[in-house]
Amino acid sequence: MHGVRLAFVKKKVTGGGHRGVAASLNLTSMIDYLVTVVIFLLMSFSSSGETPINKSITLPMAENTIDMVTAPMVAINGSQILVNEHPVGSTRAVEEAGRVMPRIDELYNALKSLKDDWKKLNPSNKDFPGVVILQVDKEVPALVVKSVFQTAASAGYPNVSFMVGKIAESKK
Amino acid sequence: MIPMIDLLMCLICFLLITAVWSTMSRLNADAQVPGPPRDTETTPQEPQPMLHLTIASEEKFVLSWRKGNAVVSSVDVPRKPVTVGEGRAAQTRFPDLATKISEEWKANGAHRDPTDKKMDQAVLHCDNKTPYKEIIAVIDAVYSTKRPFPGGGEKLYPAMNVTFSMTSN
Repeated sequence: MHGVRLAFVKKKVTGGGHRGVAASLNLTSMIDYLVTVVIFLLMSFSSSGETPINKSITLPMAENTIDMVTAPMVAINGSQILVNEHPVGSTRAVEEAGRVMPRIDELYNALKSLKDDWKKLNPSNKDFPGVVILQVDKEVPALVVKSVFQTAASAGYPNVSFMVGKIAESKK
Repeated sequence: MIPMIDLLMCLICFLLITAVWSTMSRLNADAQVPGPPRDTETTPQEPQPMLHLTIASEEKFVLSWRKGNAVVSSVDVPRKPVTVGEGRAAQTRFPDLATKISEEWKANGAHRDPTDKKMDQAVLHCDNKTPYKEIIAVIDAVYSTKRPFPGGGEKLYPAMNVTFSMTSN
């Protein structure tokens, strides 16, 4: 407080008979708190980044899951089928067909083109992983899921994964 | 002291900005049960037993082990869904089915040895109207049966791989 030259300011800052406005901070507990927050955030840090989820889809939850991988994303909401956010078909057409469609043409073409792009970018002998991830709303009927599954398989994606929310595994 | 507090603050800001709060993962399903096509002809082998899981009706599941077209054993499991949560967040689970699948695999599974790298196959049959959430609950029940694999240490991995049957039951 020696740096404050004006007497009336000095008096006010030091309290002037009342409680001072400058409060002291306990550095030890503050650093403890900051270190705890840093440790918590480091523990929950994920280098894989956040997976974009279609807003109109409510995903089911599952316990025995595996980690996400980078792969083409096929989203199925109540009315549309989308590949990487681009619409490639309607679920209504599949439901109206009343049977499993072995090939949904637009979806097939979109997946085939993604596969061709991958091969252009990886011209070496590296095998195509053939993974596609289905983001499906939990109320969509099996007929649509089967049709998309079959189309993905025939487009050259034999490893079909279903995206789900993760439930913590129960200890047995 | 001040640079240290600055560093901690910067770290907290960075970690908060890059934090991932939604934990998404996946359930794998295989569309090529016999394995990828090979260029060379191989000698035909005896078919391996496969677990066929049928969502037969509102009341039951049917678990049957089949070698090719021959049914080795079959058992009915009452369909008792357990719903966790409410409204749109409600989740369906089949804990009884998971227990029964585990028992069946221990009795009939072909790849139970911890040194065996292969997985048993489960084929899921369901009606075309079955909601997706129930399919996921059934697949999750299949994957709850776990065993160690060579090179995996003490960690347990799903003992079976799931594929979809395209027919309606």
